[in-house]
Amino acid sequence: MGLQRTHLRLAVTALLVALLVLLVGCGTVDDPQNTFAAEGDVARKQRDLLIIWVLGPATVILALVFGVLLYTLIRFRRKSEHELPKQVHGNNRLEIAWTIAPAILLLVIAVPTIDAVIDLGRAPDFDDPLTLRVNVTGQQFSWAFQYPDLVDADGNPLTVFGSPGTPGRPETVIPAEMHIPVDREIGITLESVDVIHSFWVPKLAGKLDAIPGRTNRMFLNATKPGSYSGQCAEFCGLQHADMRLIVVAESEEDFQEWVTDQLEGGGATRSGSGEPDLVSHGE
Amino acid sequence: MARAIEQRPGTTMVEAMRKLRADAESYQGIWSWLTTVDHKRIGIMYGVTAFSFFLLGGVEALLIRLQLTTANGGVLDPDAYNRLFTMHGTTMIFLVVMPLSAAFFNLLIPLLIGARDVAFPRLNAFSFWVFLAGGLFMNASFFTGGIFQGKLGAPDAGWFGYAPLSLVSTGQGIDFWAFGLLILGISSMAAGFNFIVTIFNMRAPGMTLLRMPVFVWMTLVTSFLIIFAMPIITVALFELLFDRLYGANFFNMAAGGKPLLWQHMFWLFGHPEVYILILPAMGIISEVLPTFSRKPLFGYPFVVLSGLAIAFMSWGVWAHHMYTTGLGTIANSAFAVSTMLIAVPTGIKIFSWMGTLWGGSINLKTPLYFSVGFISMFVIGGLTGVMHTVVPSDYQQQDTYFVVAHFHQVLFGGAMFGLFAGIYYWFPKFTGRLLHEGWGKLHFWLMFIGFNITFQPMMILGLLGMPRRIYSYGSGTGWDALNMLATAGAFLIGLSILVFMINVFVSLRRNKRAGDDPWDGRTLEWSLPSPVPPYNFAEIPTVRARDDFWHRKYAEDEQGRPVPIVAGGAYKVEEEEGEEEAETGHGIHMPSPSFWPLIAAIGLPIMAAGFIYQESANLLPMIAIGAVITIVGIYGWALEPASE
Repeated sequence: MGLQRTHLRLAVTALLVALLVLLVGCGTVDDPQNTFAAEGDVARKQRDLLIIWVLGPATVILALVFGVLLYTLIRFRRKSEHELPKQVHGNNRLEIAWTIAPAILLLVIAVPTIDAVIDLGRAPDFDDPLTLRVNVTGQQFSWAFQYPDLVDADGNPLTVFGSPGTPGRPETVIPAEMHIPVDREIGITLESVDVIHSFWVPKLAGKLDAIPGRTNRMFLNATKPGSYSGQCAEFCGLQHADMRLIVVAESEEDFQEWVTDQLEGGGATRSGSGEPDLVSHGE
Repeated sequence: MARAIEQRPGTTMVEAMRKLRADAESYQGIWSWLTTVDHKRIGIMYGVTAFSFFLLGGVEALLIRLQLTTANGGVLDPDAYNRLFTMHGTTMIFLVVMPLSAAFFNLLIPLLIGARDVAFPRLNAFSFWVFLAGGLFMNASFFTGGIFQGKLGAPDAGWFGYAPLSLVSTGQGIDFWAFGLLILGISSMAAGFNFIVTIFNMRAPGMTLLRMPVFVWMTLVTSFLIIFAMPIITVALFELLFDRLYGANFFNMAAGGKPLLWQHMFWLFGHPEVYILILPAMGIISEVLPTFSRKPLFGYPFVVLSGLAIAFMSWGVWAHHMYTTGLGTIANSAFAVSTMLIAVPTGIKIFSWMGTLWGGSINLKTPLYFSVGFISMFVIGGLTGVMHTVVPSDYQQQDTYFVVAHFHQVLFGGAMFGLFAGIYYWFPKFTGRLLHEGWGKLHFWLMFIGFNITFQPMMILGLLGMPRRIYSYGSGTGWDALNMLATAGAFLIGLSILVFMINVFVSLRRNKRAGDDPWDGRTLEWSLPSPVPPYNFAEIPTVRARDDFWHRKYAEDEQGRPVPIVAGGAYKVEEEEGEEEAETGHGIHMPSPSFWPLIAAIGLPIMAAGFIYQESANLLPMIAIGAVITIVGIYGWALEPASE
């Protein structure tokens, strides 16, 4: 028994490693939107939930089903035209077993799922003075980030715009840049002025839709300084592909410096002008 | 009667029509196809038309893949790209998988239940003509944008046409899309009712519900799903058209409308629709596996009940398409659990199919290859489906290539493989010729390998953060290699379809007769000659068991092993009594051919075009013309004498 269990464990580990190799072989942590290379607590939780509770069991089930199927096809293939197998009509015990077993497995998976839904579904902690508020607005085909608590001398909040560039020429896109300090909660309010968009920065957090006439809220943080690429994830028209954005996570000092720079130049800025774009498009 | 009229020379309209009807009754010429009410011919027309649309949708897919082969692809401009993926999705779902399933319903249901035709043969013809009209109408949208200037006019809001994007879309593409779907809805509703009535009322004596082949069960379940799901999208489409054509405000946020209303209605239709697409294929698999294992279906009542359970539960999972719209934690949790639970009956089916193979005598022929392809790909589709139920991880996967890979796993790896299994299985029954095994296996392997090379990389692309529906991506994204692979796979699939077409061509020209029962079949259709005569059964059979035809061929000994019944058994004698009548089918009353369903169908796209162009081209009268044609068609149909 013990030996069998070791074998099983070995097999499972081997499969998981194989899968991981496949993933790593095809994608690397450098890939700017790799959801497995999470650099924020939200994205990390989402990834771990997937790997531990779903990818693991799913790989085992897949291997078992494929194994049994292949074995069946080889062992029971027709050897002579006159073969007449025993006419088995079914087995109620087996049927009940494979009804109940998956149901239990799924209910087990449901527990951490609902736990995470509640955990990640909470409203951003706007009462905490450390929470940085950002109002995100989607508009065909660019993003605007407004920091309502960071105002210039005239009382205008700091706002950053992007530009979708020319249709069919992705190299002309200027993605809007959202600067954030690392390790602080960013409370995001999402709105859209025209059609439905979806705000998504894969390395930091899963997506949430920006829907006209509706305000959605989400939170995220970055645990490491860096530039994190994101883009609109809900098809929104002609230049949906060009509706990109960049989250620049930096140390508290760098962030404050950036804020000061921006506010001195007037509340509203257009980001990225002249700067190379993170995801290079054409040369 | 008809013959007497035919011999009299005369050129009046009425007589010319009578001549044509006589032709139709004798099953010759194009007119016999246009007026046919024979379920088998309608089935063949459904199949051929759907396959033509499959080629069209396939070309659209290949163009999409060409554009995405490398970073910053320059094959298509963003506008054309958006229109092509919208039409690809719409075509494959509404003009390919649904009507291909309908082709199988038509070809098989009367044969499987021991009937001579469906309950309403002319309504059946009407379903087909309306489907053809709707499909052509929708594709006509390509020509509305100024095709000679290189601009396509097709819809451009994705196959689920989310409002308000579908409201602000300019041109007539969305209108054609919406009216096209409405027309197709009429076709599906008519077919749905027809098959429900047929299955409940036309079964041969002894064919109790629990003796029905699983394919018949799945047709019944699918038909119920259709008649409940279609009205929902019909309402949604009417609201969308009112918004677009008459300035109503169902989805217009600025006037107090709700964009999310569209999503709720669309997916309340859309999720049962997924099962409308997959259940018929599951039914086909449930017929193929027992025949090719020489064993009855393992756990028949469980397979049937799980089909019913899936259909029932499919009404309670729609919001899993909307996890990222911000429905809140309660809704997301509830729909997570309901979606997880739908995996249970799905699992029962898969395990029961494997139980059928286990211990059988597995005949490794092409239909079985495709069935096993179905099971293996569908398992991946199901498991990735479970991944999406884990809501927080779905926040990452939603609207990425992971989702694209997942539903192709179900609808191509599942439904299309299942439908091809059915084509290879039943082809000899309707043509009298087997499809060539060598070409068939080549087709399978090319398609299976091509499929996996196309869609498994897409899974990883999704996890690497590639959103769906983007016309272009940058070179620094790390998505190049996998996209290249996916495109290569797509062309391999294209090649496999070419091989299939060669196979059909070659096999039809081969002079090798299939015989009536080439696979040692179990169900009633294999008791009939191939191809099946117009009247199907010379004498309506009396059914004594599930898999009745098998039990006519084999008895069982004490250990449950089948023993062939020697020729001249009790059944044989009974059959020969009916033989005299069967020779020519004389004395069997069959419904007369009719052109009225075709006329009734023609009016619908004319009306729709009138609505779309009533203002811009002053085509208001077209609505009236279309309406008159349809009404005349329906009146002619209603007043037509049952037979001449």
